[in-house]
Amino acid sequence: MSSFVRRRLVFGSAAVVTALLALAGWLSLHLSLRETGFVSGWVLLALVIGLALFNARKKLPFIPLLSASTWLQVHVYAGLVTVFVFLLHVEFRVPDGPLEVTLAVLFLVVAGSGVVGLYLSRIIPGRLRTRGERVIYERQPVFLRKLRDELAELVDEIESTSLSDFYVRRLIAFFAAPRNFWWHLAQSQRPRRTLLNELEGLDRYLGDQEREVKDQIADLIEKKDDLDYHFAHQAVLKYWLFVHIPLTYSLLIVAAVHAVVAYGWA
Amino acid sequence: MAQALEQVQDAGDLRQGPRRWDEPFGPDMTEEDVDRLMATPPFADMDPERFSRRAPLREILKNDTRILRYREGDIVVREGDYGNSAFLILSGTVRVDISPEEEIPAPVLGRRAPDRKSFWEALSQLWSNASQPEVRDSAGSAALQGAGEREDEEGNVRLFLQDIPSVLEAAKTVTLSEGEFFGEVAALGRTPRTATVFAEGDAELLEIRWQGLRDIMRRDPELERHIHQIYRERNLETHILATPLFQHLDHRDAPEGCECDRCRAIREIVRSTEFETWGDFDWHVSYKRLTEESVIEDEPVIAAEDHYPNGVILVRSGFARIGARFGEGHRTLSYLGRGEVYGLAEIVHNWRNPDDRVALQHSMTAVGYTAVLTVPTPVIEKYVLGSDPGSPIVSEDLLPSPVSRDRGGPELPPPGERSNREGVDQAILEFMVSNRFINGTASMVINLDRCTQCDDCVRACASAHDGNPRFVRHGLKVGNVQVANACMHCADPVCMIGCPTGAIHRDPLGGEVVINDTTCIGCATCANSCPYDNIRMVDIRNRRGEFILDVESGQPIQKATKCDLCVDQLGGPACQRACPHDALERVDLNDSLISLVEWARQ
Repeated sequence: MSSFVRRRLVFGSAAVVTALLALAGWLSLHLSLRETGFVSGWVLLALVIGLALFNARKKLPFIPLLSASTWLQVHVYAGLVTVFVFLLHVEFRVPDGPLEVTLAVLFLVVAGSGVVGLYLSRIIPGRLRTRGERVIYERQPVFLRKLRDELAELVDEIESTSLSDFYVRRLIAFFAAPRNFWWHLAQSQRPRRTLLNELEGLDRYLGDQEREVKDQIADLIEKKDDLDYHFAHQAVLKYWLFVHIPLTYSLLIVAAVHAVVAYGWA
Repeated sequence: MAQALEQVQDAGDLRQGPRRWDEPFGPDMTEEDVDRLMATPPFADMDPERFSRRAPLREILKNDTRILRYREGDIVVREGDYGNSAFLILSGTVRVDISPEEEIPAPVLGRRAPDRKSFWEALSQLWSNASQPEVRDSAGSAALQGAGEREDEEGNVRLFLQDIPSVLEAAKTVTLSEGEFFGEVAALGRTPRTATVFAEGDAELLEIRWQGLRDIMRRDPELERHIHQIYRERNLETHILATPLFQHLDHRDAPEGCECDRCRAIREIVRSTEFETWGDFDWHVSYKRLTEESVIEDEPVIAAEDHYPNGVILVRSGFARIGARFGEGHRTLSYLGRGEVYGLAEIVHNWRNPDDRVALQHSMTAVGYTAVLTVPTPVIEKYVLGSDPGSPIVSEDLLPSPVSRDRGGPELPPPGERSNREGVDQAILEFMVSNRFINGTASMVINLDRCTQCDDCVRACASAHDGNPRFVRHGLKVGNVQVANACMHCADPVCMIGCPTGAIHRDPLGGEVVINDTTCIGCATCANSCPYDNIRMVDIRNRRGEFILDVESGQPIQKATKCDLCVDQLGGPACQRACPHDALERVDLNDSLISLVEWARQ
């Protein structure tokens, strides 16, 4: 059995046991007609604060506080338990009231973005290996500029009306910036095929020398498209955390307000 | 011919091509110095006619040697340093520290004593890390560490022992005097210096770089015999007895001149063993021009497939590729490192089956620079195997497994433990050996199927190094494995060769290759030597961000920097611990590729 499978079994089992214990605790309170909201609320808040500590752990790499990968595993499975505790806290009902609805939405977006982020971090690295050269995100503008300059030089050198016209009509815009963001995320190569087909369609109007240049332009289009593919996926990998982390802090603030209000109206 | 040459000259951009002695070892060597050396033994006894016109003795002495003057206490070489030169004592005496346990303490030699940060010191990095890059509170000096530092008349930096009497009291030393050689083992075998040597009084030494020593030995049989004799007397027995095959002959407490069977056996083995070096000492320079398709064909063949097994070959230093013909090329089957053995399987098979002898089943080629010891087959049969094939002298565990008969002939497994038989992907094996990543004992490998490029590893490294990351997250790839540009803490650290102050050294506790920032003088020898471009020179600044300038030249002071495996941090390498996706690992590629392959397949 691989270590990852073993790890999933261990953490998964621990999560299930914890969830069952939480359910047992909630049921014992509920069946004895005691107020479950305050207890489950504090447990929920403690869990969310514990989950948020992962970001703090990343700021302390020089202290031996277990590896970040162990923290991530705890974060993921504790996150699943937290969703379950949330459902217990709201008693499996849709909350009412503007504050509670806001809080619930924030919680669900944070939880949902976490699940999405985990999925992306497992899927995207493998996808990036299938196409093109893996260029570091911050270096991509330099790479793009090189491709753009190379293309301009090619078009300058050859005196071809057809190719120049195509360059002005289609390629300047295509090479100006990363393109086809959502197409790449959807794993579609339609824009690439469309552009290459258009270029190929000029073949009947070209001489031998121009055809060589056309092939080189096609090569550059493919490289640019691969670069855009990497840009789209690496951007998603980088920026999903800009949803997950800020909303977590918002969640904590609104939760604090909710606690004050809940005790004030108790 | 002259017309053809003229046509070529008219067509091209003519320049003087590089020549061997464009950079003499000692630029200050004068004709008078060379005259003096030519009149000094052993050079005075050499026949200059034996030397080629391209490399006459006089020119070798002028360009491949230099005369160094030391004062009392000056450290000539440090134990553990890597060197590429030997020394001949011209006048005066030196002391060699041969104490097995009571070594001269590291700070006395200009090395930093390893010290880990306390918990509070580690935590305080959170707020105390500098906001400017490469901040230093001082330009550094070996004197701060416990060794003295001075500049000699030629401008060379010298470290010296500050308290010689106490060193002599604590350490066991021997004296070498005028006419004696030392340092030849490290120079020719590219192994660490086996002892610390310091000047006992004023001493004048002739330092000969390895190329010059090699050429002189080639042309003067007497010097070659003498150098080999020194090696046999001083070091070979130790190297032989370090090999498990011969450990049953170890007679540690034997009195001088002991004639017991074991001692006589080991003396015969030492007498009959051949010591050879293969490949290019400066392979780290040629490495940068390697091409994938020509690399195996260019490697010197130490032992060829289908040749008779003349003896067991022990790898003394460096690496050897084990391969076999495959189609029109050669396929790598395994690689050998220090202490490993080639040819034993064939010799054992032939000893057990005298009517069914086999030739060498695999070829052995030198990867980079390889030093080997060859122990002849009759000696192996006499002292390791014995006369009874059913009952060898050594334990069966030390002998290769019996041969499996397959398709009409015996098939022997390739020597060494890191082969593709254990499930190592052939592409990974070829990649690691050809790019010489097998040198790395702590290579940073990244699993590209798991790396999200979050750069948590880079940030962690920076946090642990005052805000300065010590590696670059990119490098060569094979399949889903990338070997990043981070110091690999090589088994054969060529970066250490030639460091004038010993600032770059191997940590005595953990074996990490580290740079003592305080004693680094920024000469860039290590950075230029590293074949993997893992050492960077940086301009240092003060806390205000101003460059710290050298008072004499007015130029920014530079320091060499690289990954130090977080040797002074709690918890080990911050990069590995910081990766949330199990995508980064520090792997000992020198030991085995199996763990790498299993990790990459997770």
